[in-house]
Amino acid sequence: MAGTPRPARRAVLVGGLGGFSAAAIAACAPSAPEEPAQQGGAAAAGTETLTIATTTDVVNFNPTVGNSRSDQWVTGLMYPRLLTIASDGSKEAELAAKWGYVDPTTGYYEIRDDFTWSDGKPLTAADVAWTLNAVKKDAPSGTFYGQLANFVQATAVSDTRVEFTMATPDSSLVDEIGFWGCVVPQHVFEPAGSIADFANDGSGGGWVSAGPYVLTKVQAGQSYTLDRVAKYPLVEGGVPVAAKVVYRVFPDVNTEILALRSGEADVIANALPPAQVQPLTATDGLAVEKATGLGYAHMVYNMDNADLAKAPVRQALAHAADYEAIRKVALSGQAVSTGSSPLMPVLAKYHDPSITEYPFDPGASRTLLQQAGYTADADGMFGLTFRLIYSLQDSVTSQWAQMVKDSSAKAGIAIQLQGSERNTYLAQTNDGDYDIYAGNFAIMDDPVLNFSLSYLPGGAINYTHVDDAALNDLIGQGAATTDLDEKVGIFREAAKMVHEQVYDNIMYTQDLFFAHSDEWSGFISRPSELLSIVNPVSVASATKSAG
Amino acid sequence: MSIASFALRRLGRGVLTVWFAVTVTFLLLRLLPGDPALAVSSPTQTEATRALLLTQYGLDKPLAEQYLLYLGQLLRGNLGTSFTQSVPVLDVLAARIPWTILLTVGALVLTVVIGIPLGVLAASRRGGFLDKAVQVFGVTGQSLFVPSIGVLLLFVVGLKLRWAPIGGAYSDGTYGGQWYLSVLHHLVLPGLSLTLVQLGSYVLTLRATLVDALADDYVVLARANGLSERRILWKHALRNALLPATTLIGLQLGFLVGGAVLTETVFAYPGVGRGIYEAVTQLDFPVLQGAFLMLALTVVVANTLTDLVYGWLDPRVKAS
Amino acid sequence: MSAPLPEAVLGGLPVAAPAAATRPASSSTWRAFRRQPLGMAALVVLALLVLVAVVGPWVLAAPASYGTLVLAAPGAGHLFGTDALGRDVLAEVVYGTRQSVLVAVAASAIAIVVGTLVAVVGAYVPRLDAVVSVVVDLTLSLPVLPLMILVAALAGPSTTTLVLVVAAFSWPEVTRLVRSQALTVVGLAYVDAARLMTRNHAWIIARHVVPAVTPVIVVSVVVTASRAVLSAAGLAFLGLGDPTSWSWGRILYEAQSAGAMVSAWWLTLFPSLAILALVLSATLVSIAYNDARNPRTAGPA
Repeated sequence: MAGTPRPARRAVLVGGLGGFSAAAIAACAPSAPEEPAQQGGAAAAGTETLTIATTTDVVNFNPTVGNSRSDQWVTGLMYPRLLTIASDGSKEAELAAKWGYVDPTTGYYEIRDDFTWSDGKPLTAADVAWTLNAVKKDAPSGTFYGQLANFVQATAVSDTRVEFTMATPDSSLVDEIGFWGCVVPQHVFEPAGSIADFANDGSGGGWVSAGPYVLTKVQAGQSYTLDRVAKYPLVEGGVPVAAKVVYRVFPDVNTEILALRSGEADVIANALPPAQVQPLTATDGLAVEKATGLGYAHMVYNMDNADLAKAPVRQALAHAADYEAIRKVALSGQAVSTGSSPLMPVLAKYHDPSITEYPFDPGASRTLLQQAGYTADADGMFGLTFRLIYSLQDSVTSQWAQMVKDSSAKAGIAIQLQGSERNTYLAQTNDGDYDIYAGNFAIMDDPVLNFSLSYLPGGAINYTHVDDAALNDLIGQGAATTDLDEKVGIFREAAKMVHEQVYDNIMYTQDLFFAHSDEWSGFISRPSELLSIVNPVSVASATKSAG
Repeated sequence: MSIASFALRRLGRGVLTVWFAVTVTFLLLRLLPGDPALAVSSPTQTEATRALLLTQYGLDKPLAEQYLLYLGQLLRGNLGTSFTQSVPVLDVLAARIPWTILLTVGALVLTVVIGIPLGVLAASRRGGFLDKAVQVFGVTGQSLFVPSIGVLLLFVVGLKLRWAPIGGAYSDGTYGGQWYLSVLHHLVLPGLSLTLVQLGSYVLTLRATLVDALADDYVVLARANGLSERRILWKHALRNALLPATTLIGLQLGFLVGGAVLTETVFAYPGVGRGIYEAVTQLDFPVLQGAFLMLALTVVVANTLTDLVYGWLDPRVKAS
Repeated sequence: MSAPLPEAVLGGLPVAAPAAATRPASSSTWRAFRRQPLGMAALVVLALLVLVAVVGPWVLAAPASYGTLVLAAPGAGHLFGTDALGRDVLAEVVYGTRQSVLVAVAASAIAIVVGTLVAVVGAYVPRLDAVVSVVVDLTLSLPVLPLMILVAALAGPSTTTLVLVVAAFSWPEVTRLVRSQALTVVGLAYVDAARLMTRNHAWIIARHVVPAVTPVIVVSVVVTASRAVLSAAGLAFLGLGDPTSWSWGRILYEAQSAGAMVSAWWLTLFPSLAILALVLSATLVSIAYNDARNPRTAGPA
């Protein structure tokens, strides 16, 4: 056969393929940045890059939409919140210097005057008011809008003062909106039309940020690069220390940990799996920080189920779980009991030590069930079967759900586990399609809000479907009261009711741990995974030790 | 057949394949349980917001209407807008597809480069120890569980030996020539992982067809004429044996493009496979539909290319 | 996930005449098979795994719901160590063998039955054959793992879903393999003769066509089953497996979520070895069987 020799043909083929892919990749090649503007910064400002690893990709750059962790970590470095949160759940100043009530239906924020947007325009109360009104009007789906049910209208009465009205008196609205909301630049977001549809993908010439960092480069699924802004008032020295922050996506936490150990990542933003906390603390070159838990994990019994509508049955279930073992084994001891009460120990003012945890006592469960009229069969089972739903993405809950199933079997109650993918789980929760709901909340800092949403009929997270008139009254009183001592007394009473009637089986508050390279220091830890050591002030303050 | 009718048949086939993939995806997404409106929700979301979202996504219309609307959209070149990212689907995919192609091509190149010598070795030492060793090696590679191998490689080569970076497609902060080097460096471990898994079938095919080719009459004749074994092997038998192997490459190309999910997950490689997984968890219908469309297109292109290459390598095809 | 084993290795064999496709051939095949050390060793391993799957759960207690010794390295009390909840990994692997083998066998059984039926009917009825070949090609061009992920995620994690999903994507390959063999058989003279003798097509198919393609089916079973193991493990690893029963993929998934794949290497090693053992031995057995069947490679009779 005539023709070019074999190796040459193959070489051409391989070369052709290679050339084609090279061309495709070349389209992705980054161009070298221009020389950065002169930094007339303080002595603390350095030239280092802080690399933060995360397991979830950044999906949406609009901070008012959705609730994905990585989204909020990255946008949190650009769009400030009015308030932040302290380890005991109380709110602290961030963008807002002062906040409170003008009258029972009008709240106010006095904001700092030293924040500017990265395009030079100053951040004023007009931006705050516009953001609040736009979110209320356009209803973007996410946590922010969820907080505005009672909100009516905001007005900027001066460059630094915002006042807003509410439909009914609400003693926690100012705190909650201040913490869960954020502020976006009106001059960038308004021209785009509806704030709910604005992708904010930087296509109009980049992003505009109030600091400490502004997004400059995106490689979808891999990395998000942010550059330091010229000045950021909340950090010591006025200028963020690290010159660049890069968020890197590692879908697998094992790869993420390897990257931290090899030095390719400096911080891991997601909370460590409990089993890894001790080994990583003991690893050379790494340090682990704690963020106090401000939420809780719980099991809720659906009172639409005829058996679960009876208090003794719920109480029997409450005694059928070994909470100590769960905290010790599934959480490696990194959780604290709340005394089975929604007023966790971390809420120092509200916590009631007289409310104690349901003891693990299968015998007591059996007695309760027998007294309620149930009889056990030959195998010791009472003929009660309940379907427990949980999210498979929640690895800790997935583990103790199994433990609860086994210990309940000892008490003669059969539990069918139904772990689902997150969306199915949310749909089931929405539809009330469960007997027992197992889940957790990251931040439950405000008893007024939490009790209202959890125990009032029609409350957004009233998963137990309870409607207890006495409890409703108490909650109503507590919401209206402004005197703290009175409030504490009311909610303690309400908590006792919830505890006794098992309207909610609060199992523990989990403390979260975050790992970082010990070459970096200066992190300021705040509660919850949302803030932890990757909150804006902490990231801006992080310093790399020389050498 | 003439070039024209060949091209026409290929085109028809290609369109059919793409249509099939798009329709299957479309139906699966809408007939299986799953509510995209809940994917972006928070516990305090109201029924009204949910309904609004569904309307926005166009999911409140009857199935047939949605399907026709979508097909119409596709014919105009519009892949739709991502539910979760609010940006065009094309943008979302365009950022990821090059990396998947690079990874796939890299793995295939490695497969061919390593596979041909191994296949030749096994066939020429047929029945011997080396032959068995190569076969076992090939089959073992196919039986490995990708994530375990990936983590092992990352740990040993990445962390302990520091010979390769851990995760990602390139190192941030590199530009120009350095960037290309970084891309290659990051390609090593995931490419190796993928190669290990598919080397086996390539080597075994090559070996089998080579063994058959070596038993053919013209080879016997060539041997009788005194041609050296080495010349027979490389110049004559291999030429014919490569044909089925090339078909295999085409098959594997189409297969790999969608199948690298596990590799991309473990190695944090930002390709389409991982993108699909994320879109599934977020129930981002448009992105999923667009991704499967792209994958089907890639398969069609790969198969067409393979046929062309086959024709180029085997003059008998062109002549017929 | 691996690409399909090519026809050249699995199916491109001379079709034996029907008379030879019964007893004499199979015993000579068996003799040839016995002479392949690799094939025999693999058969032993395969048999052992099936034995563990069947008998294991009777001998060993089920993994407890939790234990006090968390993430312990392999040692005296726990041969394979313990996992993130303190459960015995050996028990998990043994119980997982049953589930993994079950899923593999069930999925491949469905795939084989459906695939063979389609292939044989298509080969027998020429008009249907064109349709069959187009449908098979189209289905083969679908990206398998992503679609499996899609269906498993939306339909919910359960053993049934897993089996059906894996079967749904495995049958076209079976059809492809069986079809070429079936086409050759249908073209043979004796089938034409049979058609003259009777109108009972089902009888012709069952009596003549199926036995002739049986060797290919046998090989198909083994290959499909072993690939099903890898698919199931892959899906489980991504969190789409059945969380209520133990499987090798579940052990790996729990190790992955606990971030323990590297630090607790035993959690990664033992299930991976089990997968390797099953898939490798199955594939080697099928290759050895093929070599034994093929007069050219079987060696002296």
